[in-house]
Amino acid sequence: MMRKLLTGNGAAAWSARLARADYIPAFPITPQTEIVETLGNWIDNEQLPARMVTLESEHSMITAAGAAAATGVRVFSATSSQGLLYAMEMLYTVAGWRAPFVLVNVSRGLAAPITLEPDHNDIMAARDSGFLQIHCADCQEVLDSVLMAYRLGEDERVRLPVMVNQDGFYLSFTREPVDIPDPGAAARFLPDYDPENIRFRASAPVSQAVAVLGGAPYSYFRYESHLAARQALEVYDEVAADFEAEFGRKREALEAYRTEDAEYLFVQLGSFATKAREAVDRLREAGWAVGLLRPRLFRPLPEEKIRQALAGRKGVAVIDQNLSPGRGGVLHAELASVLFGHADMPSILVSFIGGLGGRDISTEEFFEMARVTRRAVEDGKAPPPRLLYTETELREVRKLQAIANAERADLEKKP
Amino acid sequence: MFGLKADWSLDVQDRYFTIEDYEGAKPRWCTGCGDHGVLTAVHKVCREAQLPPEKIVAVSGIGCSSRLPHYMGTYGFHGLHGRALPFASGVKARRPDLDVWVATGDGDCFSIGGCHWVHALRYNIDMTVLVFDNAVYGLTKKQSSPTSPVGLKTNTHPTGAFLPPLNPLTVTLGVSNVSFVAQVVDWNPLLVYETIKKAHAHRGTSFVRIIQRCPVFVEEVHKDLQNDPSQILLLKHENGIPTNEAVERIYPNQREHDPSDWNAAMEIARNELQVPCGLLYHNPDAPVYDDWSSVGMGMSDEEKIAGINKALDSFSI
Ligand SMILES: Cc1ncc(C[n+]2csc(CCOP(=O)(O)OP(=O)(O)O)c2C)c(N)n1
Ligand code: SF4
Ligand SMILES: [Mg+2]
Repeated sequence: MMRKLLTGNGAAAWSARLARADYIPAFPITPQTEIVETLGNWIDNEQLPARMVTLESEHSMITAAGAAAATGVRVFSATSSQGLLYAMEMLYTVAGWRAPFVLVNVSRGLAAPITLEPDHNDIMAARDSGFLQIHCADCQEVLDSVLMAYRLGEDERVRLPVMVNQDGFYLSFTREPVDIPDPGAAARFLPDYDPENIRFRASAPVSQAVAVLGGAPYSYFRYESHLAARQALEVYDEVAADFEAEFGRKREALEAYRTEDAEYLFVQLGSFATKAREAVDRLREAGWAVGLLRPRLFRPLPEEKIRQALAGRKGVAVIDQNLSPGRGGVLHAELASVLFGHADMPSILVSFIGGLGGRDISTEEFFEMARVTRRAVEDGKAPPPRLLYTETELREVRKLQAIANAERADLEKKP
Repeated sequence: MFGLKADWSLDVQDRYFTIEDYEGAKPRWCTGCGDHGVLTAVHKVCREAQLPPEKIVAVSGIGCSSRLPHYMGTYGFHGLHGRALPFASGVKARRPDLDVWVATGDGDCFSIGGCHWVHALRYNIDMTVLVFDNAVYGLTKKQSSPTSPVGLKTNTHPTGAFLPPLNPLTVTLGVSNVSFVAQVVDWNPLLVYETIKKAHAHRGTSFVRIIQRCPVFVEEVHKDLQNDPSQILLLKHENGIPTNEAVERIYPNQREHDPSDWNAAMEIARNELQVPCGLLYHNPDAPVYDDWSSVGMGMSDEEKIAGINKALDSFSI
């Protein structure tokens, strides 16, 4: 084992290397580019016996990734934001092919307006594609999760592609100490890919092209993908147990932080959890019984584990770093459906939208969310969803709007 | 006859536009970037043609070059990577009165937008397309693009790009209904200006490949060409891009080339030993898609309702 300061992008590149990915289709996009550049550099310097091929877009990249995986090779790729969305058509398609490979997504907000900074709208847009999703909170987790993702996706009970998500900038460009496992240990945990029935064999050629199907067989195969994704819950626990045995790190599907006696819980995905943990510590010091739940596995969603973790709690603050216009936070809606109709579930689920387009979520805002949630429990009524936004921010934006309006009025005065 | 003609008249222009009217935000391209000179030429062409700024739409995709609309004091559209041409087509479809300019890069146009490139040429919608070809993905900081020369060391190919680069001229010329193909180097201001002026005057899709310096990431790509003007083949013709003595003195290799001659254009484009500068191909009579897409504009509600009623009548028994 080696300990190194790595960015999230560096950790992702190392994980592809340790996983002995054989084929890496690539297309640059900020803030992901460093991943494929690092891999390209290793390959060109003969430090990685793989092939990276740059293609003309993410659409082709994911097509090539899925098609290569269907020939039985281990495939790695990475993208972000607009790139993930440009590949959307193929995400559904390759998942339908049941071709396992790992795609690292470096979360970044979507146009328009254009932003380079992180939020989860990109990965949420891929929620229903059939890809499994693992969300990371730190750089070590990125490395660990990619190795686990191969085990998960390649398992014959699952056979689905997996996305590993890390937040742009906060993880992609932040250096943290990361344990890089020995290649031998990595290979023990993640043996060579055995594609079994999807191997190309001269003795038994089969067309991989999927036929156009009517409703009944179509429904059958779509539902089969769903069942495979559900099987991944059980497989994930096995993989996590093996991972812990090999590397000593617990990578549970649902991470719980100081939840034992908590009355109120924050629930959120991704790297802001590190700030949430700090806020929990400080709230605990102030005598609040709060904790944090962070689903690492978002597809499939570990529903039973979530219910167990939330049973008997008073209130939940759900923090969504995404926005479904006309609805609100995606995680909030998902949690509500997980809890509804089950005994002993908290009746107050407050929705907060924060961290869009790279906006910070401050510790004070965690305190405020805890306050709002406690008040909602006392009132027996959840307030409407709320965007985390300060008065100063609003004033700044209003100022910009005023300047723009003045400039426009000036233009209109021109002959 | 001396003096003024008897039938002269003087239209007093109520608006006269200066360069400032076309300027937008202060350009944030790097010092020495070839994009600056092209922008200046665009401003000048607009002023020369006295285009009302409110009738101009500058459209782009994503890339360094695609920042151009921010630097125009006109309408602008900063789109998505690769999508500049469909954006432009949409703008022009029912607003043929607008003057549409497209700024796109070698990545934006030839890579992720490659499909749109081919079809936009065939549609031949009236717009001026400026491709800023710096042979690299600039904005994302130096990855190989489809026009990166063999051996160019980039962050995706640290030991050198290995595929022969795409030839944008032959591809463009190969598309049916292509109507205007020119090439120019960014560092000759007169040629840049004259080329863009001619491109803008053409009705149809004018494709201008601008060989553009990116001194920050790939200075080596264009250094040779800049230092050795004999590598350039200056195309001359009365229907081509106007040159002058100074330009002709710089570029000793010249060729008379009739831009209506497609075969000769293709032959010039295929010869990769020399870099042609000038108008390779021009067909002012190619069908223009806007002539179809703008049919029925300005129809009154009554006319539209009459049309619907006519359709409904056909169901009556
Ligand atoms: C769908 C999508 N994929 C990738 C990107 C990342 N990206 C932004 S600009 C660019 C390349 C720009 O190169 P080029 O068009 O040649 O413009 P230049 O910066 O060189 O002027 C890329 C790959 C993106 N914005 N959107
Ligand atoms: S990186 Fe290159 S292309 Fe981009 S602005 Fe700078 S010099 Fe121009
Ligand atoms: Mg470029």
